[in-house]
Amino acid sequence: MMKSLSENRESLWRLIVSPSVWALHFLASYVTAAIWCAKFAPASGSIAPVRWLIAAYTVAALLAIGWNGWNGYRRHRLGAAELPHDADTPEDRHRFLGFATALLAGLSAIAVIFAAMAVVYFQDCR
Amino acid sequence: MNPAPNDPEPPAHTPPLELQRAQEDRLRRAWQKPAGWRYWSAVNNTEVGVWYTATAFLFFLFGGVLALLIRIQLAVPDNDFLSADRYNQVFTVHGSVMMFLFAIPVFESIAVIFLPQMLGARDLPFPRLSAFGYWCFVLGGIFLCGSILFDAAPRGGWFMYPPLTSKYQPGVGADMWLLGFSFIEIAAIAAAVELIVGTLKCRPPGMRINLIPLYCWYVLVAAAMVLFAFPPLIAGSMLLELERAFHWPFFDPVRGGDPLLWQHLFWLFGHPEVYIIFLPSIAIIAMIVPTFAQRPIVGYGWIVLAAVGTGFLSFGLWVHHMFTTGLPGISLALFSAASEAVAIPTGVQIFCFIATIAAGRMVRSVPMLYTLGGLATFILGGLTGVMVALASFDFQAHDTFFVVAHLHYVLIGGSVFPIIAGCYYFFPLLNGKKLSDRLGRIAFWLLLAGFNLTFLPMHFTGLRGMPRRVFTYPAGMGFDLLNLVSTIGAFLLGAGVAIVAWDIIRPKKRQPLVPRNPWRAGTLEWLPAMPPESWGVRSIPEIDSRYPLWEQPNFVRDVDEGRFYLPDAEEGKRETLVTSVIDATPTQCLRLPGPSFVPALAAVSLGGFFILGTFYLWIPALVSLVIAIGVIWRWLWNGTAVIPEKPEKEIGLGLTLPLYRSGPESVGWWAVVITMLAVFVAFVSLVFAYFFYWTIHDDFPPAGSQGGPGVFWPCLAATLLLAAWALTLLARRANRRDRAGVFSLAIIGAALLALAGGAAILAGPWLTGLDPTSHVYPAIVWLLALWTALHAATGVLFHAYCFARRAAGRMTARHDIDIQNAVAFWHFVILTAVITVAVIAGFPLVK
Amino acid sequence: MRPPHSRPPRKAYYGDAHPFRGLGQLAAGRRPTPLMYPARAFLFLVWFALAGCSGIQSSLAPAGDGAHRIAGLFWWMTGGALLVWALMIWLTYSAFRGRASRQSPRLARLYIIGGGALFPTVVLAVLLIHGFRMMPPLLASAPEGSLRIAVSGEQWWWRVRYHPPSGPPVELANEIRLPVGEPVEFELGSPDVIHSFWIPSLGGKMDMIPGRRTRLTLRATRTGTFRGQCAEYCGTSHALMAFPVVVMEAADFARWLEGQRQPAANPAEPLLAEGRDLFLMNGCAACHAIRGTPARGRIGPDLTHVGSRLSLGAGILPNDPEAFVRWIAETSRVKPGVLMPHFGMLPAAELDAVAAYLESLQ
Repeated sequence: MMKSLSENRESLWRLIVSPSVWALHFLASYVTAAIWCAKFAPASGSIAPVRWLIAAYTVAALLAIGWNGWNGYRRHRLGAAELPHDADTPEDRHRFLGFATALLAGLSAIAVIFAAMAVVYFQDCR
Repeated sequence: MNPAPNDPEPPAHTPPLELQRAQEDRLRRAWQKPAGWRYWSAVNNTEVGVWYTATAFLFFLFGGVLALLIRIQLAVPDNDFLSADRYNQVFTVHGSVMMFLFAIPVFESIAVIFLPQMLGARDLPFPRLSAFGYWCFVLGGIFLCGSILFDAAPRGGWFMYPPLTSKYQPGVGADMWLLGFSFIEIAAIAAAVELIVGTLKCRPPGMRINLIPLYCWYVLVAAAMVLFAFPPLIAGSMLLELERAFHWPFFDPVRGGDPLLWQHLFWLFGHPEVYIIFLPSIAIIAMIVPTFAQRPIVGYGWIVLAAVGTGFLSFGLWVHHMFTTGLPGISLALFSAASEAVAIPTGVQIFCFIATIAAGRMVRSVPMLYTLGGLATFILGGLTGVMVALASFDFQAHDTFFVVAHLHYVLIGGSVFPIIAGCYYFFPLLNGKKLSDRLGRIAFWLLLAGFNLTFLPMHFTGLRGMPRRVFTYPAGMGFDLLNLVSTIGAFLLGAGVAIVAWDIIRPKKRQPLVPRNPWRAGTLEWLPAMPPESWGVRSIPEIDSRYPLWEQPNFVRDVDEGRFYLPDAEEGKRETLVTSVIDATPTQCLRLPGPSFVPALAAVSLGGFFILGTFYLWIPALVSLVIAIGVIWRWLWNGTAVIPEKPEKEIGLGLTLPLYRSGPESVGWWAVVITMLAVFVAFVSLVFAYFFYWTIHDDFPPAGSQGGPGVFWPCLAATLLLAAWALTLLARRANRRDRAGVFSLAIIGAALLALAGGAAILAGPWLTGLDPTSHVYPAIVWLLALWTALHAATGVLFHAYCFARRAAGRMTARHDIDIQNAVAFWHFVILTAVITVAVIAGFPLVK
Repeated sequence: MRPPHSRPPRKAYYGDAHPFRGLGQLAAGRRPTPLMYPARAFLFLVWFALAGCSGIQSSLAPAGDGAHRIAGLFWWMTGGALLVWALMIWLTYSAFRGRASRQSPRLARLYIIGGGALFPTVVLAVLLIHGFRMMPPLLASAPEGSLRIAVSGEQWWWRVRYHPPSGPPVELANEIRLPVGEPVEFELGSPDVIHSFWIPSLGGKMDMIPGRRTRLTLRATRTGTFRGQCAEYCGTSHALMAFPVVVMEAADFARWLEGQRQPAANPAEPLLAEGRDLFLMNGCAACHAIRGTPARGRIGPDLTHVGSRLSLGAGILPNDPEAFVRWIAETSRVKPGVLMPHFGMLPAAELDAVAAYLESLQ
């Protein structure tokens, strides 16, 4: 077990996967809407294709965040998990990073869902 | 608490007393601050950090005086205390000073003082860089503040919207703002690089990522945000200055530009900036609350979530400053959503503090008073923030005094109160004296009452229809009483600030020293004996816990007696430890440079470039820039990558560490990569500008400019630069194998190819006759090409430097920091070049 | 001779909503008893909240669809925000005081999950959905065949062009009149810097951006006189860029617009004729147009019916001959940075004649 917890196999990048996915989702949604309305929207200003695209981005983003979050949660629960993960051991460092990853995944998922809710209420480019 | 089984433990016996004294002497000598006028050559974090903080605080007072002028003018309707033009300068400078000369610098300066202490390090990894940042800051700050005395200050508002600032304000003020703040932002980025590397690589052994003091997490996040937030503003400022000085039409709609691009770039900086201010301030609270609750923070992981989460989400808010610019509803909605979501991590942090208070035994104290007052104020600002984040409500509230009220609740509650709390809390660490409890309490109530009296009515002033930034208003509109109350409140607030300022500067000679660790805190910054020594920490401890002073037995004794790492300075050199990112395993004993005037000289000569540029004196400005390059060259030559007299060194507890490491193992390499990341973000902002123009034009590139810069020259440039990059890699390899001939050939070849590549990228738009003043399309193509050429030219400087270093014997096969850093730089050059070519030559083909 | 729609009494426009009203009664009470202080403080707050809403430029005294919706939203959110704030302060206070019943860290963690994560998530989601639902109606265009008004913000005045569903457009300046109950579509733009068009009583604001055309739909719900103001900082005299807004019955509005469509009447009195000649002689016509005369300038505001407006200088002076003289003679003192040169060098009699002529342009 110690080997799998070696420092070299840990990475801070995994911590920020979920918020990065949120950022990508957000940027993609915004850019899609902006380009559609500036360049391709019909005279009616309908954004129907944009809504479908954002819905698709949302499903993909939630899947990625869910995977990352689940991954983090499992690391958090490694062995006899007890918050606040503050021991000077590789196990607790591993659990802490997992815990923070899981929390960030939760926040990112909420932020993605908030953004996706916009799609429900807007029909056109105004 | 639970030390790892294989953790080294301090020896059980006391080292001989004479040895301890001798070690202390040597440490003291190595870390001695220079005396007399040479004092100003100090680079130690405890000196530079204090100057930095004090200067930022002076700018704060200056901005405060301007605020009082504003309030006097608005006290009664139709007032003529200030003329319209003067008033516009005053509010512009007030906002700019508070943001750029107080809020951001003070976060970095406080971190410069305390980050090393919290991390048990003797200093930050690049002390001279901090000093350089400080001198840039002083110079730029004085230049900007002084302008108002000559009626020459910027008057475009602190967000400087063109076309007002591009065509309608001809004076020198706007140039001063654009160039002066770009200069200061560069210094801020330098400090951010230092704080990031400091947090990641200079922790005490054993301080794993789950044991870092929360303050450091916050600073890490805020500094990382600086890297992504400031470059868009620097890019924007560059566009605006190019328009002002050379008539490149980036924001001129007549020639294809668009004023909205500035707003995107500005707020892409401006909103994260609010959190860059807020996070490090709340970080102070995260240190104060556990101390006065006398227990570890509850929800450490949650706070990390909040800090990192806020850092990300804050980049999805910028359009909420543009809710009334007529963007599509769906876009507004997306930003509305992110603006609401960011309230969640903020709430989490506040509840972590409440939970800690609930679980602890609270000790009443002045810092705690300011903490609670700050939180109460900030929560109100946060709640109005939730309101304005709703686009529908913002349609009314935007650009009114409601927003003025909101932003002051957030910034004063979320930043000024915590910083004053920090003053009262940390002050003993500066000179062993405490600030006055009595004055602190009086000031607190004045501040709280004055603040609310000033800003609470403004919510109504705004919703009753008073726009912000008006120099006067007619009587009888319902603004009169509200404004008068605000003015009275502002003077109470000012009185409170004056008392705090007096408490800080009043002589404390006769006041007794406080006992060591006066608040009985648990974190490392409270290790020093009173008054503190300039070496920082007597020996660098092995950490087993989040609150070592509470939880590690005999901890202070072991540190004091030098039972931990680096208890000595045998060679009389300044040294600190470098450790690994995740688990803080020691990897290197880092030699730090001592006092020097070179950073100040570099700042002055670089500042000369920006200041002379303000007055369009381009030739002297370029001369100043060349001098700056020369000074920096000298600085690097003598002060960095020095080959040590021995390869490694015993640092105590049976550990021997190398004195020289290069590539990803060295802190310098990290600094280059992180800096270049920021530069790359600025480049991405320019690419964004290109595609932004594409979206707003039906025809982009416009029909008149068939083919733009063509395909041939850009592709030739890309090829040449790729070859230069490959040769740079080859040079690194040849150097490692100690093949002097191949190295020289490769590096000279790389430099020549790079020069040719830089010329080729410019030849594209030059030979196709693109005129950057005619339309925004040629302008943006030229800018991308120039940006790339500038990278190539800087890359050639790197080549020349490496060549000279090797020739001088300062770089060898094993000691190859310079070429490693050059390669890191060249990775970014090639990335930039390839993207530029793909955009300027490739995109017109796709279209 | 004045048509009935031309000008409400000036007092009504320049502020009947004095905030001091009511404070007198409150202060002139009996001798204070200890209990009266909190009671007065409370009364003061109530007064503050209510009186703090009135005014001709107040978004909290709505007279339009958008303003009604947003004001309602504001009050709900304010109530909610105060509740949340009080709750958090109480929580902190009791946590601080609760020395006897210290919480276990485990319980304290529930604070974080409940108060920090779940509660805001739910509340914000509800609020956000509500906000989203409000937006499309606020952003929607007016139906086909509605009145369109193109407004151009220029440093520091307003060019206003009415496009009624039938008939040719009419260009006026520095005043907006609307028929009550009908949606009106504003087309907003600017030739110089960014301005923002804002009539707080009727609805939200919209920026006027050079090179772009933005739109705003407003529907007034009651007649009356209001005030609009530029909300985006636009240079030296940003504070002096306002305009009166008059919401009229539809029939009155139609009559008024018809009147404004007419060219200026030829002056009968000699003083007025002299004023007109001076106007033309002194180069005013280079910038100003008066339909029906040779004055065709397009740089400054159209003056064909300037005498009928509620204010001068874009909402900053009353419309009377003295103000006219002041405006013409001390232009840049009245409005710093303005493009119009001042004509203070004209003899007083000539100034009076020009002012009288312009005032007569009803």
